[in-house]
Amino acid sequence: MTIQLESGDRLKQILDRLVEMSKKDYYNPYQIFDWPESLPEHQYWMSPELMSVHGTEAAKDLTEEQLWAISRWESINFYSLNVDGIRELITEIINRIHTKEFEVSSEYFHHMVGEENEHMWFFATFCLKYGGKFYPDKGIKLSSDFTGPAAHFMVFARLLMFEEIVDFFNKKMGTDERLHPTIRQVNFIHHQDESRHVAFGRQICSLLHSQLRDTANAEELAEIERYLKLYLRKSIDSLVNPAVYRDAGIPEPYQFRNKVLADPAFKELEKRILKRSMSYLISEGILSDDELPAA
Amino acid sequence: MSAGIDVVLEYLKAKRPDLESIPDDLDLIENRVLDSLGFVNFLYVLEEQTGREISMDEVTPEDFRTVQAIRRRFFDDAVNAGH
Ligand SMILES: [Fe+2]
Ligand SMILES: [Fe+2]
Repeated sequence: MTIQLESGDRLKQILDRLVEMSKKDYYNPYQIFDWPESLPEHQYWMSPELMSVHGTEAAKDLTEEQLWAISRWESINFYSLNVDGIRELITEIINRIHTKEFEVSSEYFHHMVGEENEHMWFFATFCLKYGGKFYPDKGIKLSSDFTGPAAHFMVFARLLMFEEIVDFFNKKMGTDERLHPTIRQVNFIHHQDESRHVAFGRQICSLLHSQLRDTANAEELAEIERYLKLYLRKSIDSLVNPAVYRDAGIPEPYQFRNKVLADPAFKELEKRILKRSMSYLISEGILSDDELPAA
Repeated sequence: MSAGIDVVLEYLKAKRPDLESIPDDLDLIENRVLDSLGFVNFLYVLEEQTGREISMDEVTPEDFRTVQAIRRRFFDDAVNAGH
């Protein structure tokens, strides 16, 4: 499927504008950050309200010391998810750059791939410097993928959802005065670049989905919806990692995770994280409701 | 460790209440009892029941193909399960 230029005229204008913004905002990531030798342990590394355990029963008996530890390891998990997510997404974009179907967006892809490469570098640097490790991706490929136009749509939809979820955290943590300046800086800078990526993501997803609606049957569209919901479920669940709790010294980390996932306070956080994305997906007719499958 | 594999089996059954039973040799991947997006939650059940973290460098989809394969790989033989 070619991205049709009749419907893509607006897209072309937006792409030109985003490329201009990318050039104007360009920074050298290898020089811009202050990386102190270490970060203080006796404070939060994540905004407390954004932590998985915030307001949950499971967290009621934890000391502030334990909460600091969870915030530290949970932030390393968050940046590790970014590294894994970017690796996957750069691969998909590279597979499409300068192919006939993505002619119109290739110039923009150069900027995006470059920026994501730099994001991966500063997130990885943070993990290794202050956590001494990454949390490994526990995914495996079992099911076969979509093909053709549906595959294109799924790549950009997953990418957009991933970026919007991450941005929910970056936006708040980038200006949270309780956090160390380096933590704020990493989040703030990522949020700046991602605003452009999200703007593009929404345009391309709307366009690709409207083209899909012309060609795919109801069953195929339902399968796309089902898959996208599972993807959102997985993305939310991956914010809650038993290895984080284990590293923070919490006994029975797997049971602790199950309690957190089932807690109404966590469901509340999930709703807040997905709010913007859900209303977009529903208003575009990509999802028919905001009910996600159970964990 | 027979208790462990039973918990894993219960988890799979709860995921697919529409299946009457999950025979030992049922292809879990073909029959979509396990899929890519639900895999991590399943893996955590397996980690909890085996009592150790599973490194993805050391497993292949075939290790999760059937209940029998899961039992062999992660429960029956402690030596085998170690790597
Ligand atoms: Fe990024
Ligand atoms: Fe991005």
